[in-house]
Amino acid sequence: MNKQDNHVLLIEDNPGDADLVRLRLVEGKTGVEVACVNRLSDGLESLSHDSPALVLLDLNLPDSRGAETFRRVLNKAPGIPVVVLSGQDDEELALKAVHQGVQDYLVKGSFDSKQLARAMRYAVERQALLTSLDMSRKQQLQFKDQFLSHVSHELRTPLTSIHQFVTILLDGIAGPVSSEQREHLRTVLRSAQQLHTMINDLLDASRAESGKTQIEPRCIVIGDVIRSAVAMLQATADEKRVGLEMGLDSRLPLVCADPDRVLQVLINLVHNAIKFTPADGSVVVRACRAETDPDFAYISVTDTGRGISPEARPLIFERMYQDPAAIDDSRKGLGLGLYIARELVHLHGGRMWVESQLGHGSVFTFTLPMFSLAKLLAPAITTQGRLREAVSLISVELAPRISPAVGNWREMRARCLEVLRQCTLPDKDVLLPAMGSSGAGEIFLLVASADQTGAEVMMQRIGEQLERSPEVQSAAAVSISSKPVLLPREDLPLIKLVEETADRITGMCTEAIHRKAMFEHTALLSREWNGIETEKEQ
Amino acid sequence: MDKPRILIVDDDPDLRRALNLRLRANHFETTYATDGFSAIAMAQKERPDLIILDVGLPAGDGFVVLDRLQQSAMLSCIPVIVLTARDPQATRDKILKAGAIAYFQKPADNGELLSTIRTVLSPAWPGTVAAS
Repeated sequence: MNKQDNHVLLIEDNPGDADLVRLRLVEGKTGVEVACVNRLSDGLESLSHDSPALVLLDLNLPDSRGAETFRRVLNKAPGIPVVVLSGQDDEELALKAVHQGVQDYLVKGSFDSKQLARAMRYAVERQALLTSLDMSRKQQLQFKDQFLSHVSHELRTPLTSIHQFVTILLDGIAGPVSSEQREHLRTVLRSAQQLHTMINDLLDASRAESGKTQIEPRCIVIGDVIRSAVAMLQATADEKRVGLEMGLDSRLPLVCADPDRVLQVLINLVHNAIKFTPADGSVVVRACRAETDPDFAYISVTDTGRGISPEARPLIFERMYQDPAAIDDSRKGLGLGLYIARELVHLHGGRMWVESQLGHGSVFTFTLPMFSLAKLLAPAITTQGRLREAVSLISVELAPRISPAVGNWREMRARCLEVLRQCTLPDKDVLLPAMGSSGAGEIFLLVASADQTGAEVMMQRIGEQLERSPEVQSAAAVSISSKPVLLPREDLPLIKLVEETADRITGMCTEAIHRKAMFEHTALLSREWNGIETEKEQ
Repeated sequence: MDKPRILIVDDDPDLRRALNLRLRANHFETTYATDGFSAIAMAQKERPDLIILDVGLPAGDGFVVLDRLQQSAMLSCIPVIVLTARDPQATRDKILKAGAIAYFQKPADNGELLSTIRTVLSPAWPGTVAAS
């Protein structure tokens, strides 16, 4: 891009008006060089390789008229000041242009050389000021991000030290601990964990604000994520004698979401609910489908706490909001949790809101987009307006050779996907998107338009290919299985047949994911059990 | 059977001491290094069964250490677990690509860390089969 400090680009189709502008510039001894074009397209073309000090712009050109003209110029060259040359009768439009980022306007035929020179000088100065303001705002944001990242890193080091030595004392590594001492140490540990959460919240909020939060949506069984959240917070609820229950719709669909992020949202909401619910109260997590909004799953957390006043309701999702009436015990945290939770839900394309009545508890609800298998499957399981004769579901399960998964699991997953793509035909088979929680292990599900024999041939090919990949072999144990999909009888309209088949496949997928989750759960329990055993030994 | 030997690389003396206590209580033998340069020297001299490595280090950070280990035919088979305060979103993938087998952010869960160490050191772990 050529930067030309004494060049002015004049976009004007009327030769008389163009000459007049040139004359005024010479009269005013501005010393600028004028390049004149008479079509907007030529002007935009010129702006794509040259960067003049200023653009003088007529709004009504052969190839563009009115507001569109200045919008396109501003869009093309956001850093270059623009002065509009308006006709006698369209000052209103010129004012609108100034509102939207044009620096100034002059009414044709009614400005002299001094006015033109002054308008141009001021336009350049104002634009420079704006640019530097914008730069410093961006620098500040970047500085804030860097600062927070640095601070959180520095805070983690002493926090780790506290965490380590307290657990060393608690685990009896440094000698026996009395029950009273143990009680005090638990308090220290709890506080350290709170600090840890706050540091994470600070980073998450900063990331959300600068749009850097990343999510990896996959196809998940929402009930599994809810069960994990409830299991993680059961002890906290028990300690406070608050009942924690689940109400899950049995025909709950698959949703398209990042399981780690949804877990974060749920933990936040359930933790809040427990915090604000008195002893002997209850917290219920529900998930259901709404008849009126079939594309979303509704997940809600209901508590029997003291509720939120109508004045506070619009504020609770704001950053740093803390309930001023909260008793000391519940005022722990930065007040970022709900803000982060709602931002995460928004990133998924869902919504979050609260309903509450003072004294009668609150209901926090959020929605997540449903995963529509029927739409995805239709092209593969139908042919010439009919359902295919045979459909099979092939599942490829990868269990990490050690748990938790180590090495570059993500890379291995990518390699695996590559193999699966090689082994499928685009118009006959569908590789379903990543399924299940992102915990240890992985499951890939393939809907193949094949009968049992065909499925077996495919399984064999997949198996051979995966065996040849050293990345996969060293990191995971692979097991492949297939099951024929029981197809509905063909006396229904095709759409119904596809939906029915998709429902059956959903059921089979859910079952497969559950099997995997159950297996992992058992593995986790046995690990915890081993942990307890070693603790006793010491 | 000899106790497995673990090399702890961290520039913070408190964290080294804590990790040392924790690992010894769990029947591991430990040695330590305080910077990147001595980490490599110690790895060469001691041939540990496993290395626990910080990223922010003087005289050659964690990436440099991983790189040196990978380049050495004799040291590349020692499994490395990275334990750092850095943000996993920015660092995790890079670390694993550089050759570490696991990434833990400080403060890490002791149970998870120990279980990873035990699995990596178990004979079933393919990485160590090549080493022996």
